[in-house]
Amino acid sequence: MRLLRWEAFCAIIGFVLTQVFILKPGPYPMALFTFIAQPLFALAAIGYLVKVIADLQKHRDL
Amino acid sequence: MNFDFLQIVMVLGTLLCVLGVILCIRTAGKRFDQIEAGHKHVNLGVAHVPALASAKLVAFASLIVLPAGAVFLANYHTFEGVHEVRGCVGCHVMLPMANDMKDPKSSTLAARHYKNKWIAENQCYHCHSDYGLGGDLEAKMTGFRHLARYTTRTYHEPIHARVRFDNKNCFNCHAGTPRFEAVQSHKTAHEKLASNRMICLNCHGQAHPTSVQRTPGSNDYARLMEKMK
Repeated sequence: MRLLRWEAFCAIIGFVLTQVFILKPGPYPMALFTFIAQPLFALAAIGYLVKVIADLQKHRDL
Repeated sequence: MNFDFLQIVMVLGTLLCVLGVILCIRTAGKRFDQIEAGHKHVNLGVAHVPALASAKLVAFASLIVLPAGAVFLANYHTFEGVHEVRGCVGCHVMLPMANDMKDPKSSTLAARHYKNKWIAENQCYHCHSDYGLGGDLEAKMTGFRHLARYTTRTYHEPIHARVRFDNKNCFNCHAGTPRFEAVQSHKTAHEKLASNRMICLNCHGQAHPTSVQRTPGSNDYARLMEKMK
């Protein structure tokens, strides 16, 4: 595993949008959280898991 | 000091998001192959762990654990928020329903429930409970569709309900009560009511202002669209 840069950026944007929704709930923050933040978190998690699995395969742990 | 659940969710959510951002920034700057080559150790206060293990733990927390926590809390916030009337009127197209409901002169079903205090609080949610956490997938998808249409402004006033109102929302309170059971037509039409082939509004009148009243330019439009205090 070398870098988790884009995964971390996706998660940061997700956290910021989630924070806005938690502090100021309303239709627009809710839409940002639902349609952007959650998919970004999912993307970050998938990217992370793909790299972890590749790392484990490289080290013959899997 | 009294804290309600939403305040606790706000504080916890803020903590998770701030911590998540900090750990993500740390993770974004890490080169795991270089750490692996360095063979350094990190002091965590209670134990010395290899720097690589520490960096991987931070990455796991920032990309899996904290996002999962933040998503859980924010979704909890969503499902709790839809209980309150002010949560519904956050979308201004819902103002006519809420303003009419609170109008003592109105005789719609919603207004009669409100002024007679048949439902003490969270009035919208009580009659549209399939929107909440207990609702089915179709209701959730409807909620997402409404949110998308509203925020992208791809809707036209007056809005129309595309889904059929589920009589179960009425039965939750009325079914089994002596007044309900005493009405012969409830027994006669029981099958049709239970399967939603006949809706309660067929006999009990308009639930909310008519689409004509909610049409921009109508005589009632300005009154119905007044911002709620």
